[in-house]
Amino acid sequence: MDPLLALLIGVLILVMLYFLFKPQRGLVSRLVKMKKDRSRELIEDALKHLYDCEYKGVDCSLNSISGSLYISGERSANIISMLEAMNLISNVENKITLTPEGRSYALRVIRVHRLLEKYLAEKTSVSETDWHVIAEEKEHELSREQTNKLAAQLGNPLIDPHGDPIPSESGEIPVRKGLTLNNLESGKFATIIHIEDEPKEVYAQLSALKLYPGMQIYLLENAKGRISFEADGEECVLAPVLASNITVYPIVEKEKVKESFETLSSLKQDEEAIVVGISKAMRGQQRRRLLDFGIVPGTIVRAQLKSLSGDPTGYEIRGATIALRKNQSDLIYVKRVDRKLVA
Amino acid sequence: MKNDTDEILLTANKLRWEVGENFHDSILESIYKDASEISSKVVIQDGEKSKFDLDRFIDRIVTGKWTGFPIMFILLAVVFWITIVGANVPSGWIASLLVDTLHPLMKNFFNSIQIPWWITGVLIDGAYLAAAWVISVMLPPMAIFFPMFTLLEDFGYLPRVAFNMDNLYRRVGAHGKQALTMSMGFGCNAAGVIATRIIDSPRERLIAIITNNFSLCNGRWPTQILIATIFIGGTVPAYLAGLASAAAVVTIAILGVLFSLIVSWGLSRTVLKGEASAFSLELPPYRPPRLLQTLYTSLIDRTIFVLWRAVVFAVPAGVVIWLVANIQIGGLSLAEYFIHTVDPFALFIGLNGVIILAYIIAIPANEIVIPTVLMLTALSTKMAMGAGAGVMFELDSVSDTANILHAGGWTLLTGINLMLFSLLHNPCSTTIYTIYKETKNVKWTMLSTFIPIVMGLLICFFVTQIWRLFVA
Repeated sequence: MDPLLALLIGVLILVMLYFLFKPQRGLVSRLVKMKKDRSRELIEDALKHLYDCEYKGVDCSLNSISGSLYISGERSANIISMLEAMNLISNVENKITLTPEGRSYALRVIRVHRLLEKYLAEKTSVSETDWHVIAEEKEHELSREQTNKLAAQLGNPLIDPHGDPIPSESGEIPVRKGLTLNNLESGKFATIIHIEDEPKEVYAQLSALKLYPGMQIYLLENAKGRISFEADGEECVLAPVLASNITVYPIVEKEKVKESFETLSSLKQDEEAIVVGISKAMRGQQRRRLLDFGIVPGTIVRAQLKSLSGDPTGYEIRGATIALRKNQSDLIYVKRVDRKLVA
Repeated sequence: MKNDTDEILLTANKLRWEVGENFHDSILESIYKDASEISSKVVIQDGEKSKFDLDRFIDRIVTGKWTGFPIMFILLAVVFWITIVGANVPSGWIASLLVDTLHPLMKNFFNSIQIPWWITGVLIDGAYLAAAWVISVMLPPMAIFFPMFTLLEDFGYLPRVAFNMDNLYRRVGAHGKQALTMSMGFGCNAAGVIATRIIDSPRERLIAIITNNFSLCNGRWPTQILIATIFIGGTVPAYLAGLASAAAVVTIAILGVLFSLIVSWGLSRTVLKGEASAFSLELPPYRPPRLLQTLYTSLIDRTIFVLWRAVVFAVPAGVVIWLVANIQIGGLSLAEYFIHTVDPFALFIGLNGVIILAYIIAIPANEIVIPTVLMLTALSTKMAMGAGAGVMFELDSVSDTANILHAGGWTLLTGINLMLFSLLHNPCSTTIYTIYKETKNVKWTMLSTFIPIVMGLLICFFVTQIWRLFVA
């Protein structure tokens, strides 16, 4: 065979295979998705949407359902009549509301979703921006037993990594009081209790700022069009639209609020500091590993040696030398001290 | 009674909400805090640390900007040099005992007591010879390489290599310790796979296991050197031949390291994206290596263990090798049928049927690939070489080996492709079995087996087409 022809055919086959088997958007995975029976998925997503409307206190219509599920009006009308037949919703004069059964079903789906997010955050290395997307897909696949097993494996968690409460098996969900960040007054201290994970673009921006539930903030200025606050010693500025996706809980006692600290990564060679805490953004196995090394408040650490290329750095911790990568030491807060004072 | 428990559970559930999600952390932190407070009260530390800290001094040198890399390369090169040079002599002894002396002796004995020729063939020429071959070529290098490696580990140097290399491995989603398991893979991939136990993060460990096969192992170095000497060395003037073939082998080894990085990068972004990951690396203090203990553990845990697995797989493979060369249908052996069938495809991607068949039936150990290739080439070209059908052989003289291969239709392109395919093909069965043992997962085992084969076939294909387009 002519080598040029063979070469062309070879390249062509590779390109074709790539488009066939590309994850997510490849032809094969699209076909699989199309063939899959989507009725359970649609029913559950519709219930979740209805619950969301109820929670926010807005009315829900056929249009809002087809909008949020990306399906045609005709299809959502089908879904609605199916839900009605299953006695999960009531449709009176075009006002759709959940029946108690429907509400408890919706909460079960939400339970699976939040448990999955917790699982992804704690047990895997999936990046923060992908948690919601993956949980959204997998929440329809778990049976009740699998869900309970997952919950037990995670130690029956109460709150998902975004700060949302996880409904119990019987569908109870505690209400957490708080206010959105754009309603917090200047000069107040507060704890972030929830960061809304939808829409995705907004969440990506917020997580890029390294904000996390449990973080303590101090509101510097709440002016029109701009909200500035101090978080972990850094000043952040948000537009009100973004700030409304963050729920905070005001704190009264001022001394409980963390002062601004340096990160472990800011230590230069042979400098010493005391550990103040590990950021909440460090989760699961990685967090426990650090605690195992003795990186707990009060421990003295010393930057001992830098690797050839500058990362990782070896720190002397309780008599042992532990190498940490920069993305880890960025999440450990320390306070510089005078050694003589400690001794 | 029932009511009481319910009430307790209810209260507990309520309290869980009140104590908050940081509860576990706070408990753990307070335990550490108490422990350190107690120990600071009751533990007395003797004297001041001396001004000159030897550990710090060594660390400064081995992780220094200008000294770190040269020391690493020199140490690694010395270890390889000692292994290759030092293994030659004992390898020769064992081969002359097991292959040259015992093999004919046993054969004669079997013949003298009137045992049918085919039983002698299966047992002596097949099973025994394959096992003997594996032992003689595998044992000496491993018995030299592993103790030296373990000594460096025991001394405390290897964690510093991981520390230095981590930045590179972090970028491809792997762990710095993969540099160590990869170097171990240069000795033996099965041992390299076992060595990944030092990586305690699940995802990074799987990456290290799957990519270990890209380290050119002990069993493949001789193949590379032989083929490079015959085909690459033959293209340049005689005084440059040694240098050119050495450079070619080193290029292949470096190519392997590059592939391992690329595949690590791909794996961490696709199939292994969601696996758990946690980085940590402890840099233990330096200490004088314990010679005897090191010798014992590296010989028993690594060398004998791996060798035993290899022998277990070599015996049935030896039987298969003998049978395919001797079972005849209509005047042609099974091997020849296979070779003729595969030849059009194999030649199209720049290899040949003999190579493909040799890599299939010599799966237990890369060491017996060349003897199998020579036997099959002699068989398929009806050459009167070696000791008959199904009996693997090697020749002392490189030029005689070259003659056989040239007679088998080999060209420079075949040589280059064989070198590439020797780097990029499935791991030997010992390694595949070890991967399964370590991961307990069929999916990862299959992945580590087929990723390199597919890559090897693709790369041979493209190299061949481009070669034909521009060179021939």
